[in-house]
Amino acid sequence: MSYYFVIVGTEDNPLFEYEFGTSKAGGDGQARFPEQARHMNQFIVHSSLDIVEEVQWGTGQMYLKCVDRFYNNYVSCFLTGGNVKFMLLHQPPSSSVSSTSNPRSSTSTIATNPMSPQTEEAVRAFMLEIYESWVKTIMNPFYRVNMEVRSPIFRQRVAAAGRKYL
Amino acid sequence: MAAAYAYLSHCTYLVVGVIIRVYHSPALPTIRGRITAHPHPTTTGCSVVDKDHLSIAHAQGQPCPVEAEDDEAEDDDNKINVVFDNPVCLTHAVLRPACADRTRLNAPSNGDLRLEELQEQGPAIFGRYLSAVPIRSVSALPAVASVRRISLRLDLLTTRLSLTIAHRPNNGLALAAGAGDSPGDLLNLILRAFVPHVAVYSSEDTDVLLEEKGFDRGLWELLRPFGERIQGKVIIRDSNGSSRTYEDYSLHFTRFGEGIVHPESSTAGLKSSQASRVNGTADKPNEPKTGNTIAEVEAVVDRHLSYAEESFFGAPHSPTSHGFGIDAPSPYYALYLRRLLSGLPLTPHETFAHPVACVVAISSRNKAPIETLRRLYKESSEGNKQLPHWVDGEFLRYYVLVHDDERDDITRSMSLFDQMKRNLGLHCHLLRIRGTRSLATDDDSIPLPRCEWMSAAEELADLRKIEDYEGFEDPTKYIFESDATAIRTFIREMVMQSIIPTMERDVTVWNDQVASKRRGLAGRFAGLTRRWGFSTNSRSSGSGSNTGSNYDSLGFYYSNTPEAIMRKLADYAFMLRDWKLAYSTYDILRGDFNNDKAWRYHAAANEMAALSLLIMPQNLSSRMRAETVDTMFEAAYYSYLTRCSTPYGALRCLALGLELLRLRGGSSIDDAARWGTRLLESKILGPIGDALIKERLAVCYASKDGIGTQGWGSRRRKSALWNVLGAETWLAQSKFIQSQRCLNEARKTYSDLSTSHGIDKFRHASAFMLNIGQELNENMESADQEEDEAASDESETVDEESEALVSQMGTGGVEEKEEKEEEEEEEEEEDDDDDEDGEDNEEEDEEESEEESEGSNEESGEEEIQEQGQERRRGQDPSKAKDDFG
Repeated sequence: MSYYFVIVGTEDNPLFEYEFGTSKAGGDGQARFPEQARHMNQFIVHSSLDIVEEVQWGTGQMYLKCVDRFYNNYVSCFLTGGNVKFMLLHQPPSSSVSSTSNPRSSTSTIATNPMSPQTEEAVRAFMLEIYESWVKTIMNPFYRVNMEVRSPIFRQRVAAAGRKYL
Repeated sequence: MAAAYAYLSHCTYLVVGVIIRVYHSPALPTIRGRITAHPHPTTTGCSVVDKDHLSIAHAQGQPCPVEAEDDEAEDDDNKINVVFDNPVCLTHAVLRPACADRTRLNAPSNGDLRLEELQEQGPAIFGRYLSAVPIRSVSALPAVASVRRISLRLDLLTTRLSLTIAHRPNNGLALAAGAGDSPGDLLNLILRAFVPHVAVYSSEDTDVLLEEKGFDRGLWELLRPFGERIQGKVIIRDSNGSSRTYEDYSLHFTRFGEGIVHPESSTAGLKSSQASRVNGTADKPNEPKTGNTIAEVEAVVDRHLSYAEESFFGAPHSPTSHGFGIDAPSPYYALYLRRLLSGLPLTPHETFAHPVACVVAISSRNKAPIETLRRLYKESSEGNKQLPHWVDGEFLRYYVLVHDDERDDITRSMSLFDQMKRNLGLHCHLLRIRGTRSLATDDDSIPLPRCEWMSAAEELADLRKIEDYEGFEDPTKYIFESDATAIRTFIREMVMQSIIPTMERDVTVWNDQVASKRRGLAGRFAGLTRRWGFSTNSRSSGSGSNTGSNYDSLGFYYSNTPEAIMRKLADYAFMLRDWKLAYSTYDILRGDFNNDKAWRYHAAANEMAALSLLIMPQNLSSRMRAETVDTMFEAAYYSYLTRCSTPYGALRCLALGLELLRLRGGSSIDDAARWGTRLLESKILGPIGDALIKERLAVCYASKDGIGTQGWGSRRRKSALWNVLGAETWLAQSKFIQSQRCLNEARKTYSDLSTSHGIDKFRHASAFMLNIGQELNENMESADQEEDEAASDESETVDEESEALVSQMGTGGVEEKEEKEEEEEEEEEEDDDDDEDGEDNEEEDEEESEEESEGSNEESGEEEIQEQGQERRRGQDPSKAKDDFG
């Protein structure tokens, strides 16, 4: 499973982007997105904002679960109080690859089924952890709204959360 | 004063663009006096001359000759204005000086050309300056019917041709009720696909008569175009007894016994000998398939696209959207659907293509008329030509006596007709036509209307033929106006007095006798017991054939089984637009077919049930939709694709579902998009269909409105995404115009977003869009250079009377032999500038926002993007570049 995590500001501008792979079930934590389709992740996440904008009014929760799907890509969203969206795109490995190279992953629920409750829970924990460090990061007095976050510490924390939960 | 008249000509092609090459010469003549547009003389033998004529977009059908617009032209000798009002169909015409009219060609710098010269070589002289490529190409323009006026303007000084197409204001669509009002809309397209089919079966002498008249394919060919538009209102009474009036009813004529697709027997490998014996037909087992295949449909649309591509090249005038608006589909998409739905094969699992009636025709030349009629009747119901056993043989026979007005005696025919009526009943008609071939030059000739519902295979064959003929060989056929009137009357009478009443009666009878037993509580029990009985039976007997179920092991139901009759009832109700009855019947059938494991039937019944439910005007709650419509589509899709492996059915079902759901608006649009995505995922589409569906998804998402100022709940970003994907797909197929159009749409949507910078801040994504744009520009430029043409584009909006939508498809190609570049009319320039200013502004906006985004980007990416931006700036405005030296 490959993940593309992006924090989107209030004006549809990415504030932070990070790609990683699963570390569960023997994954090496590397994203396996096809190189020539790099742009697609961004397009997909951007288009999912439409759905987020609709779904956000229907629930009081900050975690909106899996909001959208594009072919084999699933998008989960977490909405902060400041209307900043944490978007996580997950792409399960194509079935042929998973069955041959990594047979054990097929038993792991997170890796195979992005819609399963286990995955949802894992993503929620991941989002909450990032939310915590996000709040800490933007408490920096020099930070202004919609400014890109370049802090290496924050990046490390996101990476750590990814390893821990996904 | 330069005015022009145009006579009407017709060909199988419709037009989008024109390339006119105008050769500059030092002695550019002015044309004074009257120029007459003649239709292409197919028969006069001057085919060489054709290419030297100016060919213009041209309309056929309505008042001819068409009025020339000369108010503006009064003061300017160098302009020709031609205006076509209410065109029915765009075709091509040939414009040339009319010698008979004593036209003078007047060359100011070279002295007058003398009249004698002109008479000798008029067309040639004219042709030195103007030569045209025949206009061929697209657009089975569904939009054509919405075209109010086409004006063509030729400026001989600047050698520019502009073609303006003004559209009627598009009336909003009301589901079902006003189905016929805007023929461009897809609901209407769907309704007109599923109409009664009438077979035509004529005697040999009739065929001879029609061959003399120029129709080698017999009466069918002559009648067919007229069936597609029945004059006047048609009143249909539904099962509740209330009458409704439709203005847009139509019929499809087929040739008797054609297009039969036999079922693959469920027990595969069953001896074909047995099959043919049971079917009673003498067909070979490996008969070529006549049904529509997706590949053929794709090929047809592909050809049209390539034509458009060819003819637009040399003039890449930033093809923006057609201005059709959201509700009118892209002409190619409509064409795709239309070809997909036309030529429905005669299959057991749906009865739309089964003949509702059969026109049995003899001509007045027949020596033994009554005997021939009897023979024809016999042939149509038994023997070799009999339709297979799954077709109900009890369809209506309608006897027609074709009377040749020129050679035969009317009194004799009248008495024969009386005799026919006495012998054969009231379903008779005397059709009086003139037996000679009508020529384009005849006074009262009109071109045979184009047949819109020819099957993909047929159109493909036609296109190939035309290509082989090189250019102008015009396949247009002409008929006398009196013939057209006679045929219209005949068809109207047949529909009103015979076909509709028969269908209504059949519906009532079947509904009472067969279907009503299955409705209500008792009916459900009956179904249950039957199911039970069937399952025990099959278990005990094992073989499973002809035990409890009526489903024959050969893969069909005999036409007299209740299932077949109910299917026919449902289809009749659908064709008579009684959606409620159709839906309830399909709904019962769904279950029956499922129990019998008749998967093809099951798929078709599910498909039609979903469609009729969606066409019904009543509102559907989203829960209802999820429970019924979705399951039905799911079942149909699965049965078609997996169980029967007929991708055609799956494609048809989902494409139509997509359209109908989209028309419902609101949250149905998400469902529509979901099915569209499903279609893409299934990989049953060819490349063209793939791109078209992507484009359509973009339109689909765009048609969802948001709430409030922020547009919450709209799907604009999604729409833009699909447009980008569409652009990518088109580009990969070198369909640059389509690609450019999609890209422009996407850019526009992104710039309309509330956040002002669209997707620009996403680095890879915006770079990807830039790349597409760049590649397009390069390709269009290189195509230009190959053609070695400096093209100037023309955009002019003529729209005086109303504020109708105006779309411009103006193109003009100028070939410059000598470099005469200063000649540019100021007026024209202004027009161009106006239009381009708008575009420039938009582009500048985008660029500005790009620069902003670059500012915040990391340094590494910055240079790259700036470069691309600049290149794009340079490359993006081909029209402007051309204006600089044009």
